[in-house]
Amino acid sequence: MTPAVGDRMPETSRRITLTDMVVYAGATWDWHRMHYDYEFARIRGLPAPIVDGQMFGALLVKALQDWLGPVCFVEQLDFTFRNLMFPGEEITIGGVVREVAGAKVTVDLTVTIGASEYGAERPAVAPASAVVWTDRIDGVVP
Amino acid sequence: MSLLTDELKARVGTTVTYTAPEPWGAASGRYFAYAIGDFNPIYLDPDRARALGLPDVTIPPTLVLESAQYANLPIREDGYAGHLWGFDVPGTRLVRGGNSYRFYRRMRPDDVVTVSFTLKSITPKVNREGKEMLIFATLIRVTDQHGKPIAEADETFILVALGEEEAK
Repeated sequence: MTPAVGDRMPETSRRITLTDMVVYAGATWDWHRMHYDYEFARIRGLPAPIVDGQMFGALLVKALQDWLGPVCFVEQLDFTFRNLMFPGEEITIGGVVREVAGAKVTVDLTVTIGASEYGAERPAVAPASAVVWTDRIDGVVP
Repeated sequence: MSLLTDELKARVGTTVTYTAPEPWGAASGRYFAYAIGDFNPIYLDPDRARALGLPDVTIPPTLVLESAQYANLPIREDGYAGHLWGFDVPGTRLVRGGNSYRFYRRMRPDDVVTVSFTLKSITPKVNREGKEMLIFATLIRVTDQHGKPIAEADETFILVALGEEEAK
């Protein structure tokens, strides 16, 4: 499927619990206490452990592939970190097509943390964007 | 006192490289797929992956850029076991700036990766609150056992001087 300029990626939401954070830490071999240890976080001036920001990249690729797949290939993904996310908070991921060049699609992306006891609604990353091929399932290395 | 010491300056242009002790493995990719809740059959189902034209299941593309699996480093007191430049100095806090990923192809379970980290630049700045900061630009390159590229990432980190209150 090749979308048109202005097309929107369906919004998806995901709550990230402390359990999710521990499972993610295990899966990435990143057992930094900042991602699950309340006391460790408190001593460093944070209200709670923080969600590993790297997770947003994985969730953005998932959102793009669920929308454009199964035959698509994310070639480029850019995101700038804006705000910390804490256990139990929910993110909403969205996107809108900025440019289409043949099968190559550029999508502007948003990751928004919903309001919670830790703060008002705020962007997790911004700006964020991806370049995706919609005519291939894999890249080609010469 | 400037945060940008001669010791830090001397590290600009240096590269640290790690080669995984074994192939990446399908189970590692499957664990990550479950961890992020991405049940795409190209990660989990070899038959579906082959039907779609892939040689086997593939590893979720961002995993190699998020994982420390290949580094084979000891676990530090803070739990971390991945590559560290050691930028974190007393009276400062290190935060992530942004990531820019480029993927050349999907990673496969039989890939034995080599991952190199290059410190491209250190740029001093003063933030809106008048606090000194350093912006570190790094390049991460992932190649396979044949030296061919799999992925690259430009990642920035920001070292911010803490205020007197925060530094306590």
